[in-house]
Amino acid sequence: MNEAKNPLGLITIPSVSSDGLVPVGKRANLKSYLSALWNRRHYIIAESRAKMSSSTRKNLLGYGWLFLTPLLSVLAYWFVFGFILQTSRGVPNFLGFLVVGVFFFGFTAKCMTGGTGSIRSGASMIRGFQFPRAALPLSTVVRNFLDFMPSLLVMIIILVIVPPAEVITWRVVLVIPIVMLQTIFNVGLACLLARLGHKIPDLTNFMSIVSRFWLYGSGVFFDIEDRLADHPMLLVVMQYNPLAAYLTLVRNSLLYGVDSPLSLWLVGAIWAFGLLIVGFLFFWRGEESYGRL
Amino acid sequence: MADSEIQVPTIIAENVQVRYTVNINDPGQHAKGLRRVGNVLLGRRGQTTVRALRGVNFVAHEGEMVGVVGSNGSGKSTFLRNVAGIEQPDRGQILVRYQPLLLGVNAALQPALSGSENVRLGCLAMGLSPDEAAEAFDYVVNLSALGAAIHRPMGTYSSGMGARLRFAIALAARPKILLIDEALSTGDATFGERSERAMDELLAEAGTVLLVNHAAKVIQELCTRAVWMHKGEILMDGPAEAVAEKYRWWAWNVAKGNEGVADKLLHDVVSNAVKEEINILAPELIKNPIPRHAARRVKTVAAKSARHMKRRDTVGEVEEIDLPLLTAAESQFWPADLEVQPPKAQFPDLPKAASRAVSAPSSRNDPPPLRLRPSNNRVVLRATDPNDRASTVATASDLTGRRLEANSKRIADERYKERQRIRQEPDASPQESL
Repeated sequence: MNEAKNPLGLITIPSVSSDGLVPVGKRANLKSYLSALWNRRHYIIAESRAKMSSSTRKNLLGYGWLFLTPLLSVLAYWFVFGFILQTSRGVPNFLGFLVVGVFFFGFTAKCMTGGTGSIRSGASMIRGFQFPRAALPLSTVVRNFLDFMPSLLVMIIILVIVPPAEVITWRVVLVIPIVMLQTIFNVGLACLLARLGHKIPDLTNFMSIVSRFWLYGSGVFFDIEDRLADHPMLLVVMQYNPLAAYLTLVRNSLLYGVDSPLSLWLVGAIWAFGLLIVGFLFFWRGEESYGRL
Repeated sequence: MADSEIQVPTIIAENVQVRYTVNINDPGQHAKGLRRVGNVLLGRRGQTTVRALRGVNFVAHEGEMVGVVGSNGSGKSTFLRNVAGIEQPDRGQILVRYQPLLLGVNAALQPALSGSENVRLGCLAMGLSPDEAAEAFDYVVNLSALGAAIHRPMGTYSSGMGARLRFAIALAARPKILLIDEALSTGDATFGERSERAMDELLAEAGTVLLVNHAAKVIQELCTRAVWMHKGEILMDGPAEAVAEKYRWWAWNVAKGNEGVADKLLHDVVSNAVKEEINILAPELIKNPIPRHAARRVKTVAAKSARHMKRRDTVGEVEEIDLPLLTAAESQFWPADLEVQPPKAQFPDLPKAASRAVSAPSSRNDPPPLRLRPSNNRVVLRATDPNDRASTVATASDLTGRRLEANSKRIADERYKERQRIRQEPDASPQESL
């Protein structure tokens, strides 16, 4: 502060040099934002592990629930849809069909609900430290990805043990790129919903309904093409549903050992990368607002 | 200025205004018409706008410890949140030299995780690498002095223990600007001692601390300068002793119900207060004070990249002039023997500046954010009151005005001894409030 005293004994207004000072908490440009995010990669992993262990530690069985929850839900869905409602008619290897649907859908659904609340649940970290906020929805996806791995293992064990034998071909390997595509899709989804959920807290109530509707609309328990044969318009819409595409891709390559049409791969890839770009940019543009809760 | 040493600002807040729109539950107030129907349907009573900060101007320098006092709801915490960059002010701007770190009241980070896991998480969130976090771990454990409790879940900590751990985590990243919002008032006496030493070291390394504390005595003991906030404005900005004393007197009168005395005191302070205004000079203008229109035309390509951010690689051609001609020319400007040596420029050896940080906006995309607006470039004259001015403190006090550089440890020790001496002199009673 340079203050000059003039002969009248008055002080002029203080002037400070802003040399080397920067506005605080402003949104960085995309390039430096991404590199800052990359620098926090260890934090993202630590945060997702923390979320995982803090949710499992309360339970008696701990990590056991990572395997038990999908297993029990498959059992419940099989009882309702396979046994009572008989949607299994016309679906070869219905148990495998159901297992794939439940496990892969659960991955995206958890990212959806987790992403919506990620800013709110990370409030204490946001208030305490300065880091690119996209680390929070990202860590939700990483956490669910880590959760998904053991359930994938369970799925494979079930498919091998339980009677209707799968047609094992080289196409089993295709599950890896499909999971990657779905994870990318989930990142975009979580980022998009994180900002929306922060802006509109009511969204958490809405999300459970959306998730339910999506569950029935993605062909988790039944073959959509079979059910919607009478409504060709709806069928077209349903086929552009990203989750239906991922599920069909997995089933084709894992259960039935057949090649999937290229259009399905395209739908899956375009959804994944399109939503990643849109969702991430949308989240990044709101970077300055997440501190206000 | 009397002393030639440079005071380097670390925080500049210019006309910071914050308002919040909140739901109210005031039966006396009702919205009218359709809005009222909507409110009833949604189960709300109405909304109101709270002006939390009404134009705060504030500058803090290196090596300064500034206390912030004020009654509840005066905007202290809001101000600190804005300085930390967690929230953005609705109007005005805040500039910092380094990324500030805020220590809030609610200390628990991840209550389900153990203290040690929280240490690691916090260190990584501040941008330390895993190796650095592992190195910092011992420091954190030592500073927090939690012993075996470090392995217990953080949710089981008492508020004092949580605050201790949080403080230690914050210092693990060796922040340059620390904002403490009541976080240390729950610590016990032994921790008070240790935290003061840690803060002294931070200050000696040319850092800045902003301390919010309700105990005016703590402010008087620790801080060199204090600010009294009232209803979102800074009423007083001056030496810690004077400000804290006035605030204490006012608060005491309010507490005793002497409304008249308190109001009169407040009125006195307000009438003496000068509306602080700050002239922020863009770095370009300081280095090159010739107005742009008066300057000769230079290459426009070079002007595009901000001069203070990027070193210019290309050097303009220099015309060779005969040496005797040059000396003759020089003697016309400068007398051969100067009585007073011009002050030497000082270049502080600082760590990575905030402008170089990865998260800082790059100079290429945006123009330098600040410019001196010629229309606002007025010179305001006002009466000088040496007791109420921060600048006088800085020159008078031997702690703040100085640039504290290499021998940081020694200065920290001096500060510590000085404080011990001051404490023991007037009354031998042990410290009561930290």
